[in-house]
Amino acid sequence: MKIELTVNGVARILEVEPEERLLDVLRERLHLTGTKEGCGEGECGACTVIMDGKTVNSCMVLAAQADGHAVTTIEGLGNRGSLHPVQKAFLEEGAVQCGFCTPGMVLSAKALLDRSPHPGKEQIAVAMSGNLCRCTGYDKILRAVERAAGEVKE
Amino acid sequence: MNGTVGGTVGGTVGGRVLREDAWGKVLGQAAFPADVRREGQIYAVAVRSPHAHARIRGLKLDEARKAEGVVAVLTSADVPHNGHGVLYRDQPVLVQDHVRMAGDPVVLVGAETLAEARTAAGLVEVDYEVLPGLFDPEEAMKEGVPALHPEIHGSTNIVYHLPVCKGNVAKGWAEAEVTVERDYQTQMLDHAFLQPEAVLAYVDERGHLVVEVATQYAHYDRGEIAHALGLKFNQVRVKTVSVGGAFGGREDISLQIMAALMAWRTLRPVKMENTREESFHSHSKRHPMRMHYKTGATRAGKLTVLEARIVGDAGAYASWSPNILRKAAIHATGPYEIPNVRVDAYAVLTNNPYTGAMRGFGAAQPVLAYESQMDLLARELGLSPMELRLRNICRVGSETATGQVLTGSVGMEECLKAVKSYLGEVSAR
Ligand code: FES
Ligand code: FES
Repeated sequence: MKIELTVNGVARILEVEPEERLLDVLRERLHLTGTKEGCGEGECGACTVIMDGKTVNSCMVLAAQADGHAVTTIEGLGNRGSLHPVQKAFLEEGAVQCGFCTPGMVLSAKALLDRSPHPGKEQIAVAMSGNLCRCTGYDKILRAVERAAGEVKE
Repeated sequence: MNGTVGGTVGGTVGGRVLREDAWGKVLGQAAFPADVRREGQIYAVAVRSPHAHARIRGLKLDEARKAEGVVAVLTSADVPHNGHGVLYRDQPVLVQDHVRMAGDPVVLVGAETLAEARTAAGLVEVDYEVLPGLFDPEEAMKEGVPALHPEIHGSTNIVYHLPVCKGNVAKGWAEAEVTVERDYQTQMLDHAFLQPEAVLAYVDERGHLVVEVATQYAHYDRGEIAHALGLKFNQVRVKTVSVGGAFGGREDISLQIMAALMAWRTLRPVKMENTREESFHSHSKRHPMRMHYKTGATRAGKLTVLEARIVGDAGAYASWSPNILRKAAIHATGPYEIPNVRVDAYAVLTNNPYTGAMRGFGAAQPVLAYESQMDLLARELGLSPMELRLRNICRVGSETATGQVLTGSVGMEECLKAVKSYLGEVSAR
């Protein structure tokens, strides 16, 4: 079946299988491997992407459901010359260990700050609660989001 | 390269340094093994035993071999040296006839796409004769119980026993005025690192077998791959890509040899990617330990004696069990000076998932026992738990149960004093 979607600002027309997931489209068809698969069942958040401004677990979204929508992956955020404030904060705060959760974490934080530039601790904790990290203990990740909130221009 | 972000903050020593690999990670560029690919790669999937203990009576592979997209279906007959392991090569690459734990790989299917490989794997028929399992390590260590690895570990399931003896236990009991005796048990744990195992294996332009993997132990992987495939070390190259958490769970072989075998046989690049469920089946766990502790002390709150028996469940394969139970034995007294000690630590094979390295490496489990004993003793003696500890902790000059005299860096007393104010209510209990 044919789907049309926008990925990181680029319009794409793709032929996909009915059982294909958005995660597979990103990783296998578009080679956007920054989006990770940790569980394949909506538990870990490693596959988080932003669809029309909201975070989704791309392992739980069928490719067909992404038809007509705009998707942002970690590759759409920044580069070495100009990091997104969330990426910068993660780097500076030391919120990255193995890094497998990092793309999903960064996108969850970005989606939060886009809709709520000055979130409280509680709000941050809730917004990040769908992303598991087995390495850091979360402390520095939460601090990185606070740091980014301080730097994000309105 | 740093762009908008500063480098080191502060001096060379004690300064804050940005983690170099974090750049690729925040940008989504860091390559984990599932993220690397080669032109023409095929996918391999392992068929794993659903039974914890079984004999394999036969394999039916025809349907799988005929299935759409299948490139090769491999069995133990295709493995030149069918064994691997960090201390003993007791773990088969592909089981020939004796399944020892649920999740043991039996058949390896390679196909053009992952979906085709999974479909074909589903067509493999394994005829199992299910055997009674040994799931209780204390049963498994009894005499006369069938041994799980007679050819490697002999007629017993005890792969390791370390006695630690200090002083004179009888004297210690004669001096003891209070005794606490209890059983403790810890559970099996999975590391659940966030990145499930994945491997890319291929034969390069020099004819070398290259294996790209997230591992804690690249040089060991290389040796085991070479050994299993009957290759020389210099024909195998293991490349460690980004490692998505490990915590001890990537110290053993998981998919490395299977992917390498498939690549060597088919001369195609081979990708293997575990699902989370497969991941649970293909790496070690933390040892559950059963700990029987008997501790004696004087009325004045001085420890006089400890007798302990620690039984660690090694599961189906030895992995690091001897080293882990050694560490459990050495740490069995905790940070306390005890003049008379007898500890016996055992690692015992069962049909449970195999256990190996995990954060603490055997030092974590006995904490439950020795610290609970201290709390119970304190209650018996009418002392605060803090006070009992202060009367028995190791200090500079103390001798451990293994005879090591501590000559420096013993921070226990300082540490206890520093946390004391936070423990007000607990200490008064
Ligand atoms: S891979 Fe999608 S939530 Fe874990
Ligand atoms: S940094 Fe390893 S899972 Fe978060």
